[in-house]
Amino acid sequence: MEDILEKLTIAVKRGKADKNSPYPPDMKGQDGADELTAEALKMGFTPDEVLQQALVKGMHLIGEDFSAGRAFVPEMLMAAKAMKAAMKHIEPFFRSGSVKQKGTVILGTVQGDLHDIGKNLLGMMVEGAGWKVVDLGADTPFEKFKGALEEHPGALVGMSALLTTTMVNMKGITEKIKAMNPDTIVMVGGAPLSQDFCDQIGADFYSPDPQGATEFLDGLVQSS
Amino acid sequence: MEHHYTVRLEPLGKQIRVQAGTPLKDVLFPYGVEFPCGGKGLCGGCRVKVLQGSVSLDDEHKRALKKLGLKDPWRLACRSSVIADVTLEIGQFDTFILADSSPFHFHPRPGYGIAFDVGTTTLVAQLVSLESGEVVAVETDVNPQARYGGDVISRIEYAVLQQGADELTRLIREKFAAMTGRLLRKTGGTPPEKILIAGNTVMHHFFCGRDLTPMASYPFETPHGDACRFTAEELGLPADHTEILFLPVLGSFVGGDILAGIVATGLDESEDPVILVDLGTNGEIVVGNRDRILCASTAAGPAFEGTNIHMGMRATTGAISSVALENGEIRIHAIGNEKARGICGSGLIDAIAVFLEKGEIDAGGRITGDKERLPLTQEVFLTQKDVRELQLAKSAIASGLHILMDKLGYSPQDISNVYVSGAFGTFINLTNTARIGLLDFPEEKIIKMGNTALLGTKMLLFEDGERVDRILRKTAHLSLESNPRFQDIFADNMMFQVED
Ligand code: B12
Ligand code: FES
Repeated sequence: MEDILEKLTIAVKRGKADKNSPYPPDMKGQDGADELTAEALKMGFTPDEVLQQALVKGMHLIGEDFSAGRAFVPEMLMAAKAMKAAMKHIEPFFRSGSVKQKGTVILGTVQGDLHDIGKNLLGMMVEGAGWKVVDLGADTPFEKFKGALEEHPGALVGMSALLTTTMVNMKGITEKIKAMNPDTIVMVGGAPLSQDFCDQIGADFYSPDPQGATEFLDGLVQSS
Repeated sequence: MEHHYTVRLEPLGKQIRVQAGTPLKDVLFPYGVEFPCGGKGLCGGCRVKVLQGSVSLDDEHKRALKKLGLKDPWRLACRSSVIADVTLEIGQFDTFILADSSPFHFHPRPGYGIAFDVGTTTLVAQLVSLESGEVVAVETDVNPQARYGGDVISRIEYAVLQQGADELTRLIREKFAAMTGRLLRKTGGTPPEKILIAGNTVMHHFFCGRDLTPMASYPFETPHGDACRFTAEELGLPADHTEILFLPVLGSFVGGDILAGIVATGLDESEDPVILVDLGTNGEIVVGNRDRILCASTAAGPAFEGTNIHMGMRATTGAISSVALENGEIRIHAIGNEKARGICGSGLIDAIAVFLEKGEIDAGGRITGDKERLPLTQEVFLTQKDVRELQLAKSAIASGLHILMDKLGYSPQDISNVYVSGAFGTFINLTNTARIGLLDFPEEKIIKMGNTALLGTKMLLFEDGERVDRILRKTAHLSLESNPRFQDIFADNMMFQVED
């Protein structure tokens, strides 16, 4: 009965949250991620199997499509909604400790900036790749990153900026984070950024899309 | 070999070599000449005076001229093409008031006034007789700040991060003094009564020497947006006793140019709710009527100017400016009847509409059939990323309108008119604009207005300050990011309507 995990993978990738959801139109009336997850768990798949072999896989597929331009913001948001519907069933196991997340990623739009859609998409993808995400929202000063880092030792930081007037604020924040602990990994992104900029401000990683970030994160897990 | 002719434009003094038969519209558009009725020969807004030589004149053109009461040497640029060497005086900018079908009410008063539009890219000033309402002289130029970046954010960057504010203030004031000085020479020594200046928030701040720091970061609320008065001396002008005023900011990135647009469209006096949209980089929008007005900037970005589009370019010679489907075949028009080198905003909108029609782009914006490119000509094509850029831009405008209408309790049916301002707006195909969901309103409700900042400023020359105060009192700025549903609305509006 691998079949059900495959169905769930497709439900997540296509953004079918539950049976009643009208999206996508061609899957009307079919079971969504909500029902399929409940069923898979009932059938005896472990929460970890459901997470890794269906949810993470589905999000990875939509991430690939997004990266290649085959999918865009609406499809990504729908997929994330489907993943969230499935996660409701998995979350209790995170808390009990029977399913482990790969680590914690702290996200925020940089101080002075309000654009948060790109950061939100990144958050959904990172969560969908099996990480715990702590989202600090928009207009995030260093103090907030600091507080979150103290609360989640060993966490990584991801920062987003969409304005050429605010991306410069990433430099100061990155420096202060590194001063706290030089080992804290800082990822940066957002439309006006580039690899050069990332190098200049002393951040560790840049990617033009979330897929690059999840692959980078997975690389960290494998090498450790 | 093709035949070429020289078109000389006065008072610019520009000479342009073009191919025989080139529509005059294509020659003039890159120089900022606007076509208020969209080039249908209805409004007379594009009229030009033939000083020397001739342009084409067919029967339809003759009828249009007769209807508009225009005699020799006037011609309609939108109906003409180049058939010989010709020298033209551009009658633009003195036409909006006269050509506007809704009568422009003003109380004649003695003397002169100057209306000055400080655009991010171009500057236009008109010397107006307050007695007759006639435009006596026009000055146009490019904004000298442009060398420090094309858009307002890059100017803010230069001012705030590189301490260039004083330099930018000096540049714009010097150019203002030079242009105004030239206009003043035409009044026969009479100092003007009033000089009114309009510009977006950033132009306002530079001109008035206000601190731009608040505009560089969230929450983008500026305490320095009030109207700014100058003496002639302060600006280096000889005229004294002249009232000089830079119009106030409406809120955040929505500036006095939009306030003037409200005046130009009569939005603040309309009983029915109406919309004003500026299809520029900031994408300012206004919704309301005489009771209550809401405004916002949607930050659409420069896609409509051809920026960030793989083969995008400004609306100059060689740009595909329109695309249509004829018997299933793609037909393009390139400005200047030259070989197409790229595509400008109006062409982009048409192209997307056409590819949707052909099923080569699906409802989500994906290029169907695993193709990488959508060819328009042998050389010019759209990429998947181009479609995505257009989706972001059109959704920014559509989402902003959705949120403002919702806030005021209007549905699209309640809106009686949608006024589109800006040069780009005059060139768009309204069917396609609705088709792609940029302005999803019935065509007959949409009115292309051209430069509403200039028109409104000119109209304000004839009024006392009260109208501006009344508008300020009933207008509120809405920060779109404050809407918790923005992301969902923005995603919804990225989609295209496709019949299945
Ligand atoms: C939506 C939008 C808004 C919304 C924001 C809503 C929100 N909650 O985020 C609103 C309307 C509120 C807004 C406001 C403003 N905006 Co705005 N906005 C846009 C717009 C249209 C799209 C941005 C977007 O969401 N893109 C989609 C997302 C998914 O892309 P993304 O953020 O780049 O993220 C992707 C990648 O970069 C990456 N990524 C992002 N972050 C990270 C982080 C990491 C670590 C990694 C690895 C990857 C990564 O992943 C994402 C998915 O691929 C753009 C223009 C455009 N056409 O692009 C302008 C734009 C960004 N805005 C701009 C500006 C200037 C503003 C304003 C400050 C001023 C204005 N009006 O123009 C205002 C302020 C308004 C006010 N209060 O007065 C400018 C910036 C110009 C510049 N030189 O910096 C732009 C480019 C438009 C323009 N004028 O040219 N805006
Ligand atoms: S008459 Fe030519 S544009 Fe209206």
